[in-house]
Amino acid sequence: MSSDYDYSDDDGDYYDEDMIDGTQDDYSDDDNMMDFGGDEDIKVPQKGKRKSYEVDYESLSQSAVEKLIAEDVEYIYSVCGVDESIASLLLRHSKWNKERLVEKYMDNPTSLLVAAGVTLPEPTSSPTQRSAPTSNNSSSRRTTRGASRLLTTFGGSGSKTKSPITSPTLTHYTPRSFKPKSSDPSDKFVCPICFDDAPSLRTLSLDCEHTFCSNCWAAYLASKIRDESEHAVKCMAEGCSLVCPDPFIRTVIGPSATSTEPGQEQENAKAWSHFQELLVRHYVASNKRLKFCPYPGCTNTVSCPSAADKSSLTTIVPTVSCGARGIGDQMTQSQSASGGSGGGGWGLAGKEHRFCFGCHVEADHRPVVCPVARMWLKKCRDDSETANWIKSNTKECSHCQSTIEKNGGCNHMTCKKCKHEFCWVCMGPWSEHGTAWYSCNRYDEKAGVDARDAQSRSRASLERYLHYYNRWANHEQSAKLSLDLYAKTEKKMEDMQITSSLTWIEVQFMKKAVEEVERCRMTLKWTYAMAYYLAKGNEKDLFEDNQRYALLLPSHSLIIHLRLHLRIPSDLEKAVEDLSELLEGPIEPENIPGLRQKVTDKTVYVQKRNEIVLEDTAKGFMEGRWKWNVVVEGFDEPEKVEY
Amino acid sequence: MDARLRRVNKEIADCKNDRTSQIRIELVGDSPFHLKGSFPGPEGTPYEGGDFDVDIVIPESYPFQPVKMKFLTKIYHPNVSSASGAICLDILKDAWSPVLTLKSTMISLQSLLCSPEPNDPQDAEVAKHYMTSKHSFEETARYWTEIYAGGPGSKIGKTLPAGARDDVAIAGLDAQHVSRFEGLGFAKNKVIDVLRRLNYRGPNASKINDERVVEELLKP
Repeated sequence: MSSDYDYSDDDGDYYDEDMIDGTQDDYSDDDNMMDFGGDEDIKVPQKGKRKSYEVDYESLSQSAVEKLIAEDVEYIYSVCGVDESIASLLLRHSKWNKERLVEKYMDNPTSLLVAAGVTLPEPTSSPTQRSAPTSNNSSSRRTTRGASRLLTTFGGSGSKTKSPITSPTLTHYTPRSFKPKSSDPSDKFVCPICFDDAPSLRTLSLDCEHTFCSNCWAAYLASKIRDESEHAVKCMAEGCSLVCPDPFIRTVIGPSATSTEPGQEQENAKAWSHFQELLVRHYVASNKRLKFCPYPGCTNTVSCPSAADKSSLTTIVPTVSCGARGIGDQMTQSQSASGGSGGGGWGLAGKEHRFCFGCHVEADHRPVVCPVARMWLKKCRDDSETANWIKSNTKECSHCQSTIEKNGGCNHMTCKKCKHEFCWVCMGPWSEHGTAWYSCNRYDEKAGVDARDAQSRSRASLERYLHYYNRWANHEQSAKLSLDLYAKTEKKMEDMQITSSLTWIEVQFMKKAVEEVERCRMTLKWTYAMAYYLAKGNEKDLFEDNQRYALLLPSHSLIIHLRLHLRIPSDLEKAVEDLSELLEGPIEPENIPGLRQKVTDKTVYVQKRNEIVLEDTAKGFMEGRWKWNVVVEGFDEPEKVEY
Repeated sequence: MDARLRRVNKEIADCKNDRTSQIRIELVGDSPFHLKGSFPGPEGTPYEGGDFDVDIVIPESYPFQPVKMKFLTKIYHPNVSSASGAICLDILKDAWSPVLTLKSTMISLQSLLCSPEPNDPQDAEVAKHYMTSKHSFEETARYWTEIYAGGPGSKIGKTLPAGARDDVAIAGLDAQHVSRFEGLGFAKNKVIDVLRRLNYRGPNASKINDERVVEELLKP
């Protein structure tokens, strides 16, 4: 998928001295597309070319997916020569794997038809040749009969059009002979479920001839579909494995179905639409290229073929958006599916339905890839509180590094594991304490200092984790507060329109800035998770750079590393905090033009920095540049590096 | 009339009219949707002679969703929880069909007593006991039938005061084993609890060494 991007040859240029002057010629095309001055709304340029950190995807509505389903059904219909409703059942049974279905069908059609609940296991052989239905309008196939005539009309040859198989090659599929349950035509039908025997009762049955009244069928289907989310509903009879085909379900609970029970029609309508959705969901769930939008109430589907294969998740972060915004009733559909800034309101209602195609951990965890993001979140969940507690309440045995909590007693410690005796105060060996029990005055003696050094080394990994965790959590917390910021900014925008001559469109720069801040915080947040797992090799570059440019750098910081690596002259993080401050600060009417200029500039600035970080990390993944210090799913084993 | 009510009323009437199945269903309160069913333990099983009560709750979506049943009478059976009476039976879950009735479900319960399925247990300890020594299991099941379900061996039946019951036999253990560990200075109920959990029965008892038992007994 990277074939249309030519990144491979500029890798070597990265360390060229002429690029560190901060002009960033590479990105100047962005500037041309930006309009800084004037009354234009600041917009992210929709470049024709996809950025390296973006993936190709397409948003599909429920009806679009239904079309795809219809295509598959049509295909099976044409290849296997079975009726559409049967093709649909077969496809559902085969989890929409067309190739395997056809293969299995060609191999043994009968066993497949039985397994899918289309036909009964042992059809009694009664080779009455019946005229194959020519029309595909299968909705009329399941006949409904008046109850009073029910048992009498069964004998009639034209009353049943049971097998909808139309292919002439399938002569081995024979319809079963009909066995009336009662030979006495005057017998009244009593529904075995509701025990209703009203003569007006409508009755229905599948090919198995298990007959029940239509109200019971409707209640049963509604209960199965709505309560159990079952798309392959079996016949009501005990042990019967026939599955209700779609036309049958349509007859019972579809739009044209009528009911004598009060309120049932409404229930039917709900169940019918839920059934449609279930089919789409089943199709989407069975198809690796498709994912359902996880936002509540949204029925869109996203197709992202490049992320279908799990192995691709080590090179790309498939952040996608279904194109809709908002939640529940406030949802709106926007046309721009790919990170556009247009559409509807904002705040919670305007929130874009953005999610990761590859995992469920978080909507947008760029720049870090799914397996690492997952690992990090798991670690945070498992370790953070524990790590903090361990840090503040325990020490390690200076001999075997077992973690020890002192919950009482004197300072003379004996490690339960290695029996090493030491002093809790200075951590030095107890043997050197002589008679100075219970009041350690040896804190500065060499043995004690050595022991504490060893301890601090073993604590370093914990410290290192907490370093990254705290920064990660900070941005997480800020992102959570962004809803507040949205509300506050919205208020400010209104005030601005009142106190100054700016129009609605002219104050949109505030909204743009808030959105950008949130986006950048996401990126920054995940760079800390990434930095925690990056192998030292990656950071070596950092230290070499450090020496070459003689800059003062805190160790282990990916942000700084990226900055240096790409010669970004300023810090994204600082810029984001600056911009946040500008947005949160008070607004004086006379300062608005200046503020507007500052905010606009800063927004463009952080946006570009953010893109650079995302671009570089994404390229790094495609080039396999990033190495981890732990085993990450899908990546090579890490080299042994001491931490 | 409400289809559910009509159906339940008819089902109750059917059971009343049908004396051959020996299944009785009665109302618990005023509502026809909370019932108590009972049936005799099947012949030729350790449950023979007992009378088993079942709590029946008819859900809102009955008969399209299964009835909720659990044993009110304590019963020693691999597919019934010895503590809560919860039943592990496929037709009460995913194999339910709206065609099934209270009567047919009760008959299924009855036949579950004839043929336990220890491989799909509700009560793992009981199932282990069944698998280890069927004979010992049946003795215990019979004893439970006597003391809880008014089985024939017991003159006192359900009226037996709790103190007079043999806790060792209820747990399906050998009195000798229990008294041996009791002799080491452990409380009787603690010994019973540990031995029951370890399935210290029949041939299994020789596989568990005393140290292991004592170790368990020492755990708080």
